[in-house]
Amino acid sequence: MKKYKFRRFVRTVPMKFYILLAVIVIFSFFSNDFELVDIQKTAIILAAGVDRSENGYVLTAQIAVPKGSERTTGGTSSVEIDGEGETVSDCVAEIYSKTGWVPKFIFCNLIVLGEDTVKERTFGALDFFLRNEYMSDSCLVAVSAGKASELLSSISAIDNTSSLAINQLFSASAEKSGKITKNTLKEFAIGYYGVSKSGYLPFVRMQTQSGSDDQAQSGGQGGGSAQGQSGGGSDQKIYTAEETALFYDGAMVGLLTPEQTYAFNLLNESVVSSEITVQEGGKNHSLAVLRNSGDVSLSLKNNPALKISVTLTVRMSSCCSQAPIGSMAYAEVSPEVEQKAREAIGGYLKGLWENSKSSGCDLFFLTQKLYRSSLGKYAEWKDTLLQALEPEFEVSVKGTK
Amino acid sequence: MTKISSRQLFFFLAAIAPVGKLIYLPTQLAEFSANDLLFPAAVNFFLQAGAVFFILLLSRSNKTLYDLLSYTFGKIAAKIILSVFTLFLFYAAVIPIMEQKFFVHFAFYDTLPTVFAFAPFFLLSVYLCAKPLVHAGRIWDILAPVAMVGFAGIIIFSFGEADFAALAPVGAKGADGFLRGTAFTMGWFYDSAILLLLMGKFDYEKGMAWKGALCYLAGAAAILLFLAVFYGIFSDIAVRQIFAFAKVSKYFVGIPLLGRIDYIFIYAVALVMAFYNILPLHAGVDSLTHAFAKRQTRLFSALCSIAVNAVIFSVTLLLNFSFRGFLKIVTQTAFWVFPLFCLLLPALALLLRRSPREKV
Repeated sequence: MKKYKFRRFVRTVPMKFYILLAVIVIFSFFSNDFELVDIQKTAIILAAGVDRSENGYVLTAQIAVPKGSERTTGGTSSVEIDGEGETVSDCVAEIYSKTGWVPKFIFCNLIVLGEDTVKERTFGALDFFLRNEYMSDSCLVAVSAGKASELLSSISAIDNTSSLAINQLFSASAEKSGKITKNTLKEFAIGYYGVSKSGYLPFVRMQTQSGSDDQAQSGGQGGGSAQGQSGGGSDQKIYTAEETALFYDGAMVGLLTPEQTYAFNLLNESVVSSEITVQEGGKNHSLAVLRNSGDVSLSLKNNPALKISVTLTVRMSSCCSQAPIGSMAYAEVSPEVEQKAREAIGGYLKGLWENSKSSGCDLFFLTQKLYRSSLGKYAEWKDTLLQALEPEFEVSVKGTK
Repeated sequence: MTKISSRQLFFFLAAIAPVGKLIYLPTQLAEFSANDLLFPAAVNFFLQAGAVFFILLLSRSNKTLYDLLSYTFGKIAAKIILSVFTLFLFYAAVIPIMEQKFFVHFAFYDTLPTVFAFAPFFLLSVYLCAKPLVHAGRIWDILAPVAMVGFAGIIIFSFGEADFAALAPVGAKGADGFLRGTAFTMGWFYDSAILLLLMGKFDYEKGMAWKGALCYLAGAAAILLFLAVFYGIFSDIAVRQIFAFAKVSKYFVGIPLLGRIDYIFIYAVALVMAFYNILPLHAGVDSLTHAFAKRQTRLFSALCSIAVNAVIFSVTLLLNFSFRGFLKIVTQTAFWVFPLFCLLLPALALLLRRSPREKV
């Protein structure tokens, strides 16, 4: 009996061995080191800023630290570390050698490019991030007014970590307001490497929060920064990204105003919580946009023709006059106000087109549309398309009760 | 179990074989053919489906390739030819194994792990290769549903993010792009060579040839859909997206809220891929055992398995920092090796004798 049991056990050994091997393989493949990341030896980078220097680049890495800093007693604490080198990769190596921390980009959700960095060869700065297999190409990219290092090392009035406050500018709800554009590394790279060679990035400015000196004195100052808050000072900052930087062939070639950025979003995004204010009869009328649709259609029947159209459904949200209570209940939009809104939006769209055309940035990827529609037409028009097009604008604004 | 069943074989052709085309192949197609990547892939799939059809027709005799070769050329010549053919399979297996190694290193780890993180793959491979090839049938029974669910999950997560207009205009890369795309990606199409060594391991059933080819084309259709989604998502930067099937689903709108739940499907496909990548070694060791071992076949196959896997493991270590150069040599400079062994030899195999010569 014992012998029989032993034989039966021996017969089943191969299967047990096989299961054991399969388990080992699964563990080694998918363990992901069991997430055993030594937080004391790892720099979890929340945001990266790239500025141009005489020798190449300066990379400012905003690193989350697992302790409370002087800057804050709660939330996410961070320090900013600079690295300099001929390439961004050199900068990362310098940060590693300066701190002994392994830079970890997997949580990096924001890349900020300094104004000098985007004057030419922007992808010289982004190349490292695009090649990095351990970093997501879904991370947001933005241009800062001035230096990216100053932006990242500034003290935000609304969050303990500046990059998180900047990220908040690009939240889904902010996007729906139509006031900001946002772009990811992947989308920006597709635009650059595509036939249009164009793209756009949000342009971030920082402003000193009024009354922040008092708050700064009473609250925690930026002692957590490794570079001593050289750029930001002790003033608390708020950030805006209502302008949009235009790119052609890897260089920043223009800047959309807040109105033009809004018009661009009306064409591309679902804008559901925004306001347009127009003057009619000497009074300001604010209209809430309830629904929008935009279209940029390129026709190739004979010569290329462009039609840019926006349709808005609006409701009166505020009127600078003492309106009778009855009219407030219905919130009617008069035909005159509708006409003024059409004129305003039409003006924004024209400005948007002229700005894009004069900068050379193919903001609507018309060359790409032409390429995808007809190789023959593309060969004929690829160099002159933007200059040859005289778009037809069509704006419809309808009020609702 | 003595034979692979027809169901298991169809599972292999429809669900297991396609997963080997998901790592480097999409980017290579994008490099040579850009938005026309579907056409070279379709040509290679059709050529392979044709080879599958003829090999299954040939398998009506229920004889192994070694048997057919020995009936035609004699035993010594058969052993030489089979050894050369087996060497080809070992050679063909290097790229997919390296692909999976890099895939595991880059997709499943946050920072580059040690080169030995992939070593357990070879432990499994040694064990599987030492077993008779017919055991693969049971593995396919288990893995085929896993592959289907994994693949379907990846497609469902990624389909909505694809801009299929990126596939236009047709013919943008011209005949040159099409030919280069077809020729330089043949290194991923060696399923017919594996099937040649599977002959005699299953019993031919009526209609098996066209059903097998159809199953292979069904798998091909799934890969073509994946390629379309892949190019729709990455467009002009597709050439950069090496570990494609781990990337296409991460743009799903729910991912920021739920985390990378798509990894469940990616793990499933990666697991199936590990077994598919072992198959050329498994088939090769089994054929050598059949041809050379008269007695103690288990010991022979075990030693052969250890030797083959040790060599491949060493090769993967040696190629760790020169893989791109090796890939270029195998898939571009010596691309003709693959159609020679995977298309021409199966076609010539139709001329082999199906029964022994009668002794006079």
